[in-house]
Amino acid sequence: MTSTSPAAVPGAGSPGPEKSDPSFAPPVKDPQKELVGRSPGRLMWVRFKRDRTGVVSACIVLAFFLIAALAPVISWLYGKDPYTRYGEIRPGLLNENKYPIKPNGGIDGEFWFGLEPGLGRDVFTQLVYGIRTSLSLAVAITLLSVLTAIVIGVAGGYFGGRTDYLLGRLTDLMMSFPNQLFFIAFTPVVMALFVNPQDEMPTWMRACVLVYVMWLLGWMTLARLLRGQTLSLREREFVEAAKVAGTPPARIIRKELLPNLVTPILVQATYMLPNNVTAIAGLSFLGVGMLEPTPDWGRMFAKGAEVYQSDLTYMFFPGGAMVIFILAFNLLGDSVRDAFDPKTGR
Amino acid sequence: MSAVSTRTARSALAALAAGVLFLTGCSSGGGGDEQSETEAKKQGKDISYSFADAAASKGPAPEVEGAREGGTIKMLQRDTFSHLDPAQIYVSDEISLSTLIHRRLTNYKRNKDGSYSVVGDLATDSGKKSDGGKTWTYKLKDGIRFEDGSEITSKDIRHTIERTFAPFITEGPTFLQEWMTGKGGTEARKSLPDGPYKGDHLPDSMLETPDDKTIVFHFKQPQAEVPYALAMSGYGVVSAKKDTKEKYDKKPLCSGPYKIASFKSGKSMKLVRNTEWDPKTDAQRHQYPDAFDVQFGVSFEDSTKRLISDSGENRTATSFTNSVDASSMQKVRSNPEVEKRSVSGYQSYVGYMAINTDRITDKRVRQAIAYALPADSLVGAFGGTGAAEMAGNYISPTLVGHKPTDPFGKIKNPQGDVKKAKKLLKASGKSGMKLTFAYQNAPEWQQFSVAATQNLKKAGFDVQKKDIIADTYYDQIGKIKNGFDIYHHSWGADWPSASTVVPNLFDGRQVQDGAANYAHLKNEKFQQEMDRIRKITDPDKAAAEWMKLADRILKAEVPAVPLQYYKTIQLHGSKIGGAYFDESLHDLMPTSLYVKK
Repeated sequence: MTSTSPAAVPGAGSPGPEKSDPSFAPPVKDPQKELVGRSPGRLMWVRFKRDRTGVVSACIVLAFFLIAALAPVISWLYGKDPYTRYGEIRPGLLNENKYPIKPNGGIDGEFWFGLEPGLGRDVFTQLVYGIRTSLSLAVAITLLSVLTAIVIGVAGGYFGGRTDYLLGRLTDLMMSFPNQLFFIAFTPVVMALFVNPQDEMPTWMRACVLVYVMWLLGWMTLARLLRGQTLSLREREFVEAAKVAGTPPARIIRKELLPNLVTPILVQATYMLPNNVTAIAGLSFLGVGMLEPTPDWGRMFAKGAEVYQSDLTYMFFPGGAMVIFILAFNLLGDSVRDAFDPKTGR
Repeated sequence: MSAVSTRTARSALAALAAGVLFLTGCSSGGGGDEQSETEAKKQGKDISYSFADAAASKGPAPEVEGAREGGTIKMLQRDTFSHLDPAQIYVSDEISLSTLIHRRLTNYKRNKDGSYSVVGDLATDSGKKSDGGKTWTYKLKDGIRFEDGSEITSKDIRHTIERTFAPFITEGPTFLQEWMTGKGGTEARKSLPDGPYKGDHLPDSMLETPDDKTIVFHFKQPQAEVPYALAMSGYGVVSAKKDTKEKYDKKPLCSGPYKIASFKSGKSMKLVRNTEWDPKTDAQRHQYPDAFDVQFGVSFEDSTKRLISDSGENRTATSFTNSVDASSMQKVRSNPEVEKRSVSGYQSYVGYMAINTDRITDKRVRQAIAYALPADSLVGAFGGTGAAEMAGNYISPTLVGHKPTDPFGKIKNPQGDVKKAKKLLKASGKSGMKLTFAYQNAPEWQQFSVAATQNLKKAGFDVQKKDIIADTYYDQIGKIKNGFDIYHHSWGADWPSASTVVPNLFDGRQVQDGAANYAHLKNEKFQQEMDRIRKITDPDKAAAEWMKLADRILKAEVPAVPLQYYKTIQLHGSKIGGAYFDESLHDLMPTSLYVKK
């Protein structure tokens, strides 16, 4: 989130060494000496480090990923798991209506975030594991979508003509599917195809279906963006030069085009991931995401909405965590973009 | 970082912090740990019904203390009434409505001491049996009239019974028809295929009306529970002269203390005083408010919120059958002011987990399932002890003869006995067996399925959960070859005797698609026992025998696991008086309501 002064604009656009950007001047002690031979990536890193919001957001996001990755460790240290129905098995935790007896959703030294009304499971581990579920799904979906978008977008943009037309129409077609409805309709079909009618759909298959549908319907925006960028890059001199020199297309794409597309890809990916997290949560809220007993972030909202009249606290933890995560991730996305591309400062 | 972005970040943080404060400030504790016995529980124990004589069947009904006439009561209902023709009434919404508008030969009445009796409603008493119970004679009271002023005679009663044979009557009860003809279900209808509409009538060997005031039923087998059957809303009186067949379902001729002034299906209904109804002829009903204003399309959550708020017109509002929804249960029960305005009691339903005996043939496996299931979790899923109570056996506490037996320790171990289940499953050598558990895709059952699956897995089953759309659930589990191992269902008695429970659930001769014997239990010995008990003419003795048989089946065969007795809590506004929970109606009794000054 760097707002550059107008004076800095001419210099900032060039990929080579920059000079005399006043906004960068104070923190860097002696820019003249250090600026020699810095790559765009390194420049970006320097700019990013100077953006406090970005750094804080990055730390928060990192913390979320760490929590997700270390969920079993946290659960082991904390001494609870997200499946045991503590409130039901141990008397004195839930009242006769199955709500926590203690105020604020049953928060105490033992159950840090309280107990889930009804089944009496531990909210803290539920949330930690729920974040783990949602984030792993979101990361998988984002990676797959970005890869697909790169392949389709760049191919369309670079080859143009009939290829571009076909890929463009495919993109349009895929964009016309509403993904939540599609998922609701698609799951039973998969179930009928692959699962024995007397068996439950395995959790891994459900996760795969979820990833598959969200991936299938999630790559189009980025693909269009990349196609546009590629179209304009393709006409640039360095690409022309490479072509004249007889460089094969694969090499042109890898060595000439992709490095110039890193910025939109990275920026879009940092926006896509939180979007996917909310979309998965939305599906779970509707009851078509991951099912019990797999802990799930979005399903905690559904539960929270169910019990808010009598236990408002329950909604607070998944809700708060989600707000912080999305906010941090979006701010991080902004910072990444600013760091890569300071001329579009607002 | 520039000034702009700092400000954005700060305000975002501030908003977040405010959110935190707001949220944490609002949640008070659930409170309450030990709970006293509810009124309903006390009432429910040792329920007994007596068949009343002429003196007890005389009107008028004793005045409700403090009652006054006048005012309008608002009734908040979720679903519209799909049937108003008495012969088509079989669901609780319409049964509750029919207490106000239709009269039958007999009726339930709560006595001052809280006991219940079956009294004569249109008839002078609950019935006189002769010929060992094969013949039942009823005499009509004087001064009973339809809303148009025409006298109700034995011709109308004959017509009421005979038209239930007509093809357009599809929903109502079939007990009398089957008893009179001695044939079951669709076969019975063939005795009078067109009903009374083409001039045919039932022969005197089945139904006799020697004069305008006398009705004599002749049954093929001795029947002990005729007064109960005749008290069903489905046998409400229909005018012989003013019968409009199919159209009667929208515009019936009323005989109760209220008549229908207007009915807009799905929107509203207005009931006003029926001036032809004479309180002196009615031992149970009152006519306090001037009118009932029914509003449809009010969800359980909405009606609960409105009645909790007790504001404006909600002060004079209540409902026929809308009850407190699971998510509001805690709010209602932790607020003494609201709880004061609630009535509660048992519904007639019992929740069972049927075990498919075709697929699970080893009794030890069935016992393991019975021990493993956590009944407490189901009660919790339905909203806690206000919505249900753990069941120890098959027979509901609302039935005569109920005993609080608990052969599988379902009440003693609210969370099930997983250790014992594991041992039994191991002994059967089937540890790790696949168990397909079908349940209705509704929040309560989903929540229960989590707990049940966990317990069953711990006991050593490889549980395969199958959630089934609520609309088709009963169709799917009702098929004989349903492919599932365990599935829940509920069953309610038609009257307070287990004779409409045990045979329906466990008679092997009734195993067919769509029948209630979901476990597909076939046991010759028990079937003979059922036939024997049916012939017992003393209702109380029969009730005790049914109870014994139900427990014997449970212990010997475990075709189903008793899970819970359903309960309900209903609210009413602060200006409504005379509200009580009627144990025979299983709902708030509308006939004694009045509007306070």
